[in-house]
Amino acid sequence: MTATIAPERSQAPLIPPSTHRYAEVIHRLEAGGSMLPDTPENLKQIIGIYKAYAVPMDFYWRDLLYIAERVFLNPLPAFKYFISKEYLDRPNSYAGSQSQLRIWRGTEKAHPELLEFMARGETGRMPKLLHHLWHDRVNMEFAEACMQAMLWHQGMGGRFNDYLESDAYRANADRAIKAYFKGNPLMLGLYAVFPEMFLEQVRQLSYYANLGLFWEVMAPVFFEMSDLYDEGKLTSVPEAMDFLVNGIFAVAGRPIYHHLYIGETCYEIIPKSEGFTWLYEAALPYVEAVFYRTSPFRGTKSYNAQAGQVPADQADFHYGILYADVYPVGSAGIPPTLLMQDMLHFLPPYLREIYQRHRRAEEDELVQLGITFQRSMYNVTSAVIQALRCALLYPLDDTDPEHLMANRRFFEAQMDRFLRPEARLADIQSQDYR
Amino acid sequence: MATILETAAGAGCFTTLLAAVDAAGLRSALEGPGPFTVFAPVDDAFAALPPGTVQTLVDNPPQLARILKYHVIAGAYQRDSLVQQPEWTSLEGAPVAIRRADPFEVKNATVVNADIACDNGVVHVIDRVILPG
Repeated sequence: MTATIAPERSQAPLIPPSTHRYAEVIHRLEAGGSMLPDTPENLKQIIGIYKAYAVPMDFYWRDLLYIAERVFLNPLPAFKYFISKEYLDRPNSYAGSQSQLRIWRGTEKAHPELLEFMARGETGRMPKLLHHLWHDRVNMEFAEACMQAMLWHQGMGGRFNDYLESDAYRANADRAIKAYFKGNPLMLGLYAVFPEMFLEQVRQLSYYANLGLFWEVMAPVFFEMSDLYDEGKLTSVPEAMDFLVNGIFAVAGRPIYHHLYIGETCYEIIPKSEGFTWLYEAALPYVEAVFYRTSPFRGTKSYNAQAGQVPADQADFHYGILYADVYPVGSAGIPPTLLMQDMLHFLPPYLREIYQRHRRAEEDELVQLGITFQRSMYNVTSAVIQALRCALLYPLDDTDPEHLMANRRFFEAQMDRFLRPEARLADIQSQDYR
Repeated sequence: MATILETAAGAGCFTTLLAAVDAAGLRSALEGPGPFTVFAPVDDAFAALPPGTVQTLVDNPPQLARILKYHVIAGAYQRDSLVQQPEWTSLEGAPVAIRRADPFEVKNATVVNADIACDNGVVHVIDRVILPG
């Protein structure tokens, strides 16, 4: 896949300058840029972290689908992170020679660095169970926290959540539950007494499938960006953003579904024929739930909901990476910290070298890494904003002032979300924020 | 008069749209009595989408059908009727905004040829593929 969005740069000032607090960023977006300034170090940081993110993500998507499709309602899922070989070898739909839309030129199976880490971890070769108990493994808890953010926030556009409440979904889930527990009178009896509890668990599993299918796309996108950078073919932050924009469009129509497999039999809980798409039912809700909203993490700081410290409206939640104070988040057991720990294992040497030269070097590598991740996600969010502008509004080089003003209002509305003091948009404008 | 699809086939600039209608299995529906109002993107509109976009949709007919249904509203409406109302509900379910009367703009597309009357509806030719949202 190549970046082929036509260069869109406005030339003559057909509309007056923005007076928004983030006018500089808005003008950059209007010139085809990213919220993240275009500097060689920013490019190096975001590409390096995309690579480090993609390796554990290659595990996340496989295991999310394994749990949604195979583990399903296992009442004691102690081994849900012990992914089967079938899912570890499952061909990525967007990598490898079998792919109909090949985004990454690499292998369709699990990434070699992931397999190496799964075998050795930080400690060394030992049985998988010991790696698991010692917590020397990929932290699926982070992936599940993202899934739960999507489940909990709901109502973020798309039709996925509405479908989970429909009669058709209930009927499909009922069929799947009865098939899964066939011959198990205890569980079938519990299902008869508490049907809604089982249904809610299946809804959660549908979000496992949703997120797994979403990340199956993002891992090869990030791997390819890393390879292009290494080859000298990705040379600026806007180019990196455009690559993401093209990727978003290319896979926008990918079906989002939830299938359960019992042996060789497939039960369609959310069939592909419902017409759910990667863009509307997965990507946009994911960005809203995970980048913007999430929820306060236990152990970071205390909030007094009665004093209004937690918004009454879920849409105002602002605990995602775009608002995160990375320093306290870097405490043990907190989902974003688990991700940082996962990424730490796969940092390219050039990123390690940057961290060595700043702050407390390896002593605060997780914090530096977290801020790099924050920069990189501002770039991904920029790609989403530009993709939405491209899909719903007008080209940046449009010559109609009304169209340009419509673009302006859209960009300003997006920037309004970063007016609250917790937002890190102003911080990432400086290279000194580490 | 011809049907909507016969009119589109005769125009010669809707090759991609007609292929997409077939891939999505919507031909029989659009050949029915309707009536429908169709916002028909020209071939250049599909070609302007980033690479892979159309192919992914063609490979997945239910998802393609959803996007195509967003270009159709129930009933036969000429431009004069459409501009009376800021939004119309598409067959996909999401609203289609009429943004301007002159020039006639539907969502972020400009109507380059309006009010083509057909046996089973009206066609308005647009210069961009419109998307829900």
